[in-house]
Amino acid sequence: MKKKGAILIENVVFIILNILFLAVLILFLVKQGSGAIVLEQSYSKQIALLIDSAKPVMLLKIDMEKGKKLAEKNGIDFNDVVNINGNIVKVKLSEKGGYEYAFFNDIEATAYPDTDDKNGYIYVITITKKEIKNE
Amino acid sequence: MNKKGTDKILSMYWFVILVIVAGGIFAMVYNFYGAPYDVRGVESEILAEKIADCISKNGIIDSEFFIEEDFNEEIGDTFMEKCNFNFNVESGYGEDNEIQYFYRVEFYTLEEMENPKFNFYGGNKNWENDCFIVGKDDEEYSRLAKCTEKRFYALKEGKDQYLIKILSVVGKSEKNVKQ
Repeated sequence: MKKKGAILIENVVFIILNILFLAVLILFLVKQGSGAIVLEQSYSKQIALLIDSAKPVMLLKIDMEKGKKLAEKNGIDFNDVVNINGNIVKVKLSEKGGYEYAFFNDIEATAYPDTDDKNGYIYVITITKKEIKNE
Repeated sequence: MNKKGTDKILSMYWFVILVIVAGGIFAMVYNFYGAPYDVRGVESEILAEKIADCISKNGIIDSEFFIEEDFNEEIGDTFMEKCNFNFNVESGYGEDNEIQYFYRVEFYTLEEMENPKFNFYGGNKNWENDCFIVGKDDEEYSRLAKCTEKRFYALKEGKDQYLIKILSVVGKSEKNVKQ
């Protein structure tokens, strides 16, 4: 009887360790896929490509639900997540992070946060023709 | 037979396998997420589409490309402005802050498909050679520029037909390829 009990405990410990191991692995995979570095890069490249293919007077809406959650977690104001300066898009989701990507379309692009019909967090990119500066 | 000893060796062996599997998965994930998203192919396609839109609307070549019967030789100088392109934006990308884009447009008549009747280009010409390297899709050539070739037919004011070939190239390897 004593021997059978020992075998049961050994098996339970073994199963718990295996489950723990799998949980750590899954957590690692999920964290890697939704990390600030990966999201910053994917958002900035997506926005830059959208702007490249856009034409003046267009309005682009980008779902930023994941970005909003991560920015909040990292103490970044959602208003400061996307910045378009000249022809460079910068997305910042963490205090030390930030990823820039350039677009070639010579238009005026501005970005501001908003919510959609379902109260989801989005960013709106407005595309307008660049004003010709008279010197 | 020492059953207890065998069990211990077996469970140790099992954990060694777990560590190897975990190590493999960590390495693969690190490799996957450590490499940047390569969007240069899509970017060069967008550039080619934009150039095509700029050359012809509804299959008719823009009248600015011609001066009476001949091609307007100066269109190459004003093309970037006409199409709203700004290639001078990649400060900090590549060595010497060089321009990361290139395009070439060639017009062929249906009678002479070998040599273009008219052509012009813009951007950094150094990238063009990357498009002609054999086996450039291999992993070891991933840092070469991405190219898109587009061709279509269009009419000059509803009369002469031209084959138009567009080659668009995007460098930007620093932002799109693992260094």
